[in-house]
Amino acid sequence: MADEAIVKQFKVLNEYGIHARPAALLVSAAAKYECDIFVENNGNKVSCKSIMGLLTIEGSPGCTMEVSALGCDARDALAEIEELFVNKFYED
Amino acid sequence: MDLTIKTMMDAGADILQLSVLAGEDHLDRRIPEIAMNRPGLALTGFFQYFANQRLQIFGLAEFTYLKSLGEKEKYKRLEELFKQQVPGIIVTRKRKPLPEMLELAERYKVPVLRTAMVTMNFVNECTLLLEKMTAPTERIQGTTMEVMGMGVLLRGDPGIGKSETALSLIERGYSIVSDDVTEVRRTSRGRILCWANEITRFHMEIRGLGIIHIPSLFGVASIRRDTELDIVIDLRLPTGDEDRTGVYPETVEIMGVEVPCITLPVRSGRDMANIVEVAALNQKLKELGHDAAKELDDKIINRLTRRGRANG
Repeated sequence: MADEAIVKQFKVLNEYGIHARPAALLVSAAAKYECDIFVENNGNKVSCKSIMGLLTIEGSPGCTMEVSALGCDARDALAEIEELFVNKFYED
Repeated sequence: MDLTIKTMMDAGADILQLSVLAGEDHLDRRIPEIAMNRPGLALTGFFQYFANQRLQIFGLAEFTYLKSLGEKEKYKRLEELFKQQVPGIIVTRKRKPLPEMLELAERYKVPVLRTAMVTMNFVNECTLLLEKMTAPTERIQGTTMEVMGMGVLLRGDPGIGKSETALSLIERGYSIVSDDVTEVRRTSRGRILCWANEITRFHMEIRGLGIIHIPSLFGVASIRRDTELDIVIDLRLPTGDEDRTGVYPETVEIMGVEVPCITLPVRSGRDMANIVEVAALNQKLKELGHDAAKELDDKIINRLTRRGRANG
């Protein structure tokens, strides 16, 4: 088990940013993993397993957010989250 | 059920206050169409487009008009009307029928009935009754509750806790319509009406306890004959892909009507009655035009896209 968090940066590519639907996708993805996952934007850091948290971080279109994961399955979790960001949360 | 004058009189015995004036032997006549007809135009002699498949209502207007006719003419037009083999004639306001009507009734085997009700009330009540008698019904699996004026159908696999949830809701002061088996029909307003099977009505089966009688234990306030359905709640074991935002609501189709539907994951220790109560309240709010999830999402999208544009 890694004791250092894995950190990756993702750009918000979809038209409307992190609103309810993308937030729900992120939470569903994150909830499948044991590791702790956090999303940080503009100094606001929230759990990726919290809908209400994700709705407050103001992930507007075009901004870059930092996602960190700490735990045994952190690598897999980040890979799945990356999928969502890269595919614009399957919107547009 | 075959809709005849007899079955209508039986089903509406206490509402319609009908008595037979003539044609007692022909009460098995079928009523092909459930609408009523006021035969004013036919009595003037115009029988083209005469709605002879419907019950004919003789009210004040019909009798007053008939009075204005000469004896021969009156008989001729009434006879033509009976000849058309209408399912039955109903005299409202407890008026005395014309002797010709009674004679023609026997000759053409068309029952003539009388009610004390005024025409408009009779037509309304009778239409409702006939609609109820002819509407197709279905029996579906699920427990129906009435929660703050909202009809809630609880569904889910056996043993998931439908009856237990219903019991908690009853303890909170809400009323039960049916346990586990619900009869439904579609109303003319395009809604689904739910009620319980006559035999097991107001009984409930609780695992480990057996069958209980709800009003004996909780009082008459805990029961309700029927309710219109507003929301279906599916109780299910957690799968992990439950709806987290409620922004994209789902529906289920029941007898051709789309009914809002939510799926609630059941975990031990979760107070399902509380969540069902809130779901019903939230649905009530939506029906009043206030969709909290959608409004918050719109607000967030608005804010994010404005900021996104500012960032370039």
